[in-house]
Amino acid sequence: MCPMLPERLTILIFAAGCVLPFSDSRGDERALVFESDIQQVFVRRCGKCHSSTVQKGGLDVSTMAGLRRGGESGDPAVVPASGDDSLLWAMIDGGDMPPEGQPQLSDKERAIVRTWIAEGARSAKPTASDEKVITQHDVQPIVLLRCTTCHGARLKQGGVDLRTPAAMRQGGKHGPVIVPGDPGASLIMQRIESEACPPRELLLKYFVKRPPAAEVEVLREWIAAGAPEVDVLPDVATTESDPFVTDGERQHWAFQPPTAKLSGASIDHFILETLQKNGLGFSPSADRDTLIRRAYLDLVGLPPSLDEWQRWRGSGDSDWYRDMIDHLLASPHYGERWGRYWLDVAGFADSEGGVSSDPIRQVAWKYRDYVIRAFNNDKPYNRFLIEQIAGDELLDHEIAPVITEDMVENLTATGFLRMGIDQTGSRTMNFVPERLGVIGDAINVLGSGIMGLTIECARCHSHKYDPIPHRDYYRFKAIFQGALDEHDWLTFKNRSLSVDTAERHERVTRVNPPLRSRIKKLEVDAKNALTALRTEMLRQHYPNQTDSDRAETIRALRIADNNRTQPQRILVEKLQQVEVLPDSEQPASVLSARHAVDDIQGMITEVRRQMEPPLAIRALWDRGEPSPTYILRRGEHNKPGRLVGPGVPSVLTDGRTPFVVTPPFPNGTPKTGRRLAFAHWLTQPGHPLTARVMVNRIWYHHFGTGLVKTLENFGAKGERPSHPELLDWLAVTFVERGFSIKELHRVIMNSRTYRQASRITDKTRKRDPGNRLLSRMSLRRMDAEVLRDSLLSISGQLDDTPGGPPDPVSVNRDGLVRADATATGRWRRSIYLQYRRTEIPSMMDTFDYPEMGPNCLSRSVSTVSPQALMLMNDQHVRDLAVAFAARVESILKTSGGDSLGGQVDLVYQLALSRPPSEVERQLGIETLQELHRTWQGKPHAAFATYCHIVLNSAAFLYVD
Amino acid sequence: MSIDRPAMSNAEQNNLVSRNTRRDFFARTSDGLLGAALTQLMCGDFFGGTEALGAESDAVEAGIPPVYDLKPKRTHHPARATSVIQLFMNGGPSQMDLFDPKPVLNRLNGKPYPGNVEEIGNQGAADIGVMMGGRYTFNRHGESGMWMADVLPHTAQQADDICLINSMWTDHPNHDNALYKIHSGRLFMGYPTLGAWTVYGLGSDNRNLPAYVVLNDPLGPPKNGSRNWTAGFLPPTFQGTRFRPTGSPILNLKPQYEQPDAVTETARGLLNRLDDIHLKDRPHYGELDARIESYRLAARMQLSAGETLDLSRESSHTHQMYGVNQKWTDSFGRRCLLARRLVERGVRFVQIFLEEQPWDSHADLAQNHRGACQRTDKPVAGLLRDLKQRGLLDSTLVIWGGEFGRTPTTQKSADGYSGRDHNMQAFTSWIAGGGIRGGTSYGTTDDFGHSVVENPVSVHDFHATILNQLGLHHQKLFFSRSGLDERLTGVEPPRVVTEILS
Repeated sequence: MCPMLPERLTILIFAAGCVLPFSDSRGDERALVFESDIQQVFVRRCGKCHSSTVQKGGLDVSTMAGLRRGGESGDPAVVPASGDDSLLWAMIDGGDMPPEGQPQLSDKERAIVRTWIAEGARSAKPTASDEKVITQHDVQPIVLLRCTTCHGARLKQGGVDLRTPAAMRQGGKHGPVIVPGDPGASLIMQRIESEACPPRELLLKYFVKRPPAAEVEVLREWIAAGAPEVDVLPDVATTESDPFVTDGERQHWAFQPPTAKLSGASIDHFILETLQKNGLGFSPSADRDTLIRRAYLDLVGLPPSLDEWQRWRGSGDSDWYRDMIDHLLASPHYGERWGRYWLDVAGFADSEGGVSSDPIRQVAWKYRDYVIRAFNNDKPYNRFLIEQIAGDELLDHEIAPVITEDMVENLTATGFLRMGIDQTGSRTMNFVPERLGVIGDAINVLGSGIMGLTIECARCHSHKYDPIPHRDYYRFKAIFQGALDEHDWLTFKNRSLSVDTAERHERVTRVNPPLRSRIKKLEVDAKNALTALRTEMLRQHYPNQTDSDRAETIRALRIADNNRTQPQRILVEKLQQVEVLPDSEQPASVLSARHAVDDIQGMITEVRRQMEPPLAIRALWDRGEPSPTYILRRGEHNKPGRLVGPGVPSVLTDGRTPFVVTPPFPNGTPKTGRRLAFAHWLTQPGHPLTARVMVNRIWYHHFGTGLVKTLENFGAKGERPSHPELLDWLAVTFVERGFSIKELHRVIMNSRTYRQASRITDKTRKRDPGNRLLSRMSLRRMDAEVLRDSLLSISGQLDDTPGGPPDPVSVNRDGLVRADATATGRWRRSIYLQYRRTEIPSMMDTFDYPEMGPNCLSRSVSTVSPQALMLMNDQHVRDLAVAFAARVESILKTSGGDSLGGQVDLVYQLALSRPPSEVERQLGIETLQELHRTWQGKPHAAFATYCHIVLNSAAFLYVD
Repeated sequence: MSIDRPAMSNAEQNNLVSRNTRRDFFARTSDGLLGAALTQLMCGDFFGGTEALGAESDAVEAGIPPVYDLKPKRTHHPARATSVIQLFMNGGPSQMDLFDPKPVLNRLNGKPYPGNVEEIGNQGAADIGVMMGGRYTFNRHGESGMWMADVLPHTAQQADDICLINSMWTDHPNHDNALYKIHSGRLFMGYPTLGAWTVYGLGSDNRNLPAYVVLNDPLGPPKNGSRNWTAGFLPPTFQGTRFRPTGSPILNLKPQYEQPDAVTETARGLLNRLDDIHLKDRPHYGELDARIESYRLAARMQLSAGETLDLSRESSHTHQMYGVNQKWTDSFGRRCLLARRLVERGVRFVQIFLEEQPWDSHADLAQNHRGACQRTDKPVAGLLRDLKQRGLLDSTLVIWGGEFGRTPTTQKSADGYSGRDHNMQAFTSWIAGGGIRGGTSYGTTDDFGHSVVENPVSVHDFHATILNQLGLHHQKLFFSRSGLDERLTGVEPPRVVTEILS
């Protein structure tokens, strides 16, 4: 409705349409009044959630003041005489409130409310003084958004700091910035209105936009009113009970601490109880070969070597299985397998994403190695979380005389919250909304991955299903404000620390400079060789082209394609047309020029390998001076609401306990300590979610389904646990045993439940179709890493060097992305490949390596034909099959058993960790005979074909 | 159950939540037949089965994970179109030079922009030049009298089949983000594209070819690469399959190594026997059937794709019409012709791209755009004409356009001021066929073609309109993840542009 109409007129227009039908029932034509006609309706219909004691969405409809103030949207609930603008009416009229399942307003009540608003929402009490007064808290968010980049913590242009009213009054070189009561005389208004500030040439440099008229108006009104200040304390949890979240809402199972009697209970006890209730029992134990393969692929992600397989299957020790689990948990390959799951939780990537150049994250791998180490060392999960969330607040490295390994480790761990997409280092994508996106991703990772809560849903409004008020999202955001401050931002380019031990410092400064200058020289050579190659291509394919056209082509390549003239584009295209020709159509001179380029590239790679990794750490650290945190109404960066302080979701507390934050280094580097306080709160033994979410995740990876299926959501819309008591027992046991993840593996893997066979019987199919009761082990397809690592291992092509910078990938002309071999000519485990978001290795991608957005808690499992095409037709897979065949042949040569039957036996032992069945053996021998015929006397090729097919078989790809 | 998924109402969906059969976590995906066994199993157990499932409701909730497949799905309402061909014009074609004549702008040619240049600038105001009038001559075409520049002589002849939308606008002036937006409705990476949503909603009518095919420029990928056809958070079965322009059309479709045909046959036979043995020992595992089917489809695809790609089966007249074997048009013409062959065979969504971004004319616009038109104009018109004469245009939506438009002012680049910068506030796209009213020019921009003044069409409106023609309702087409129903068209309801429907 048009805001310029005089109020009286609007009343008339609105009232004319709707008051009349009700005038009869009232008879006396008395106007409706809140206290006598409305209040009771609201108390009866809305009071359960919107009273002075319970204020869902920040709304209290029991008083006129509450209605005028409105809820978290920042808009009043009732606008006199305007039903259209009254949020309360919109919610009632649209059927959104009261919520489904609650008693609704009767038609008569609706009519009364509507009429009351139309008549001007009258109240018996005078409304004189609740006109909104503009204070410094209306001004501060505007100034933060538009001014403090140049006049704040880092820069004080003209000596001006605009962060507080006092500093504004004080001003800078040119005197006070504001003159209370006189906007016209205030420097700030003059500068803004003349568009001298923010300066045009700096808008993009500092990623600031001009304040729109409405914001300028707020500034003016505030100054005109004398720049009034009120002391508003940030909204934080207090000892008063929280009206936003009720105790009833805290009763949801996942918000209560887990409880369990430890004695006498076991996994099998809980599982069997439910099975029996459904007329089922455990399936028989899987046979020994199956258990060996299952345990190896599950714990280390690689099949057993021939020796190890023979050792376990031949062992007469009754504890062989237990010993095998311990052996595997002690393997350094364990961390490479289970660390990978954690990298999915963190949303690990070797590039920033967001922009098409997808810049590489040079040292993301340090965090990857930290995770692998943590798993291998069985770092207690509570410690693991504290380091990742607040490692920078544990030890004060900034004033330390000596940098210790622990300091480096702690800082590396904080890479956890730096894994989301970050485009803020780009030329145009570093405005406040994009920064808020980076912060949002970090919160999302924590919420979904660690807390099992969809906190991010409360970014724009209170959570629809869970008792997470809008306010709590921003309290939560305030925890990170010291490190991730959208008003004092570090882009990915400068958010990095060069902290390392003295010894590493020395090594880097000694080793790298000479290598770097060699690379520089080689790069010049490479560039020249490339020019020579291109010129030669043009010369060979376009003999009639002039030399100057060739030179112009080379020159045009240096210009971005969208800045080329049309003649330049045509020249470049001519080159492209011959560049994509296959080698068979290239003359010898071109091929040799191409080799020259490849040789130099090879040398560069070789020298790079000799370099010491850089000192940089992709860390997150508190910078000690957080901006104030305002609620952002509807999640929009320029719609600030109330001021809030740091805090955790109220529903996970008793609602009467303040969140206590203490700076960690009172005599050292200033840091807020907010994240450290959060990490300690998160890892306290009775926390309702931390342990449950983690044991559920471990369970999920062992069984293929979580006890709570929705790993990321333990809230109202998440699924209830299939075995609630078991979940709690595991959570309590986990905490009790020092948050040891390896111990948890032992508990799970030594259970009878885990050791069941995977066969489905008619009975278990009927009574337990989805295996939620765990009447058997679930058959599962290898994930991308296990598949690729197994292929490499079986074919003897695995380079098991751990850690360090990721192995680069190459993209061929078909768009196929493949890892480069290491200096040994072999390939490393998949976790050590480079995961650039736009260049995910094709095999990983084809077998469901996920898009990290921002992370991935459970990968989907697809069964699509590109997988068949990859395993059947891809050259690399074929090469591995050939290597596998050669390996088998060479083992058999030394052992002297190279009959066809011997070949088949060994293929099964290596690839499937079992002997072939009689049928499989016979089939193998017959097929090999046929292949010898069809390959026409090429026995190696025939055997390679056989090996290739076994690697394509379901028996290989699926794990019982 | 999976068949009905996208067509279900919200309430029905919510009912199912408690049964929890549609979680995307641990989702299983397969192409083609996969499902038969599994879906049957599910239906039997959940709806038709008379077997008791045990007293505990837990047992009922023990849902089998959802199956995502490409079997044909029911539409939400009767469809006007069954396929889409998207002719993507990477880089942002200039609306005032091609479709939206601006006499006032022409008059101001060479003069400064009459307003605050900050309204124009995308990368700051420093490199903004002066006003630049349209570079080409405009004429009216067809019975509808549609304006089109003389660099599009062939497309102009099809004017009466085309609906120009001159009032498109988008949210970001950067290529990357605007590309994400026009393809997936979001400014960021990781969201499913229009094509992915389409095949998620409709499945495929062809069991031997992918449902969603991408035809790239042989010279190289477009800007943003495969993210232009990603399935995002949807299961990967819904992502676009890139047909390679030369050699084997699908990655790894043919063995990359040599072996006699007889060997291939023996090898296949062995695999079938091995999988058979494996399967017999493991009854009731639907995913094993699915896997076997995926190998069969791979084999069928090998045959079918080869046949589809063989353009020599077309007459020389047809080649001529698309500009195949002609100097400038051969490459794009082949892709357009192939697109028709795909649509003819029931492929649901075809995207055609140009290498990098040929329309992105920051410099030398007059020549650059002329060049881009020279390559695409005849093939595009040929495609429209061919579809029409075969009766396919009625059921095929042909979409032409880029990610944004261009500014009325010039921009400084190496060669001085001869091109235009990006303009997110207005651009022109066109749609033909599939129940769209031909001969329509919809929406109006200001005197400079700089921003929309009448009948704005957002990217979400555009997508909703396309879905609408395909029989899909933008609100009912969603995918749940992390407790959120994700839609192509976002949270705020879009508008189907009913005025352009026939």
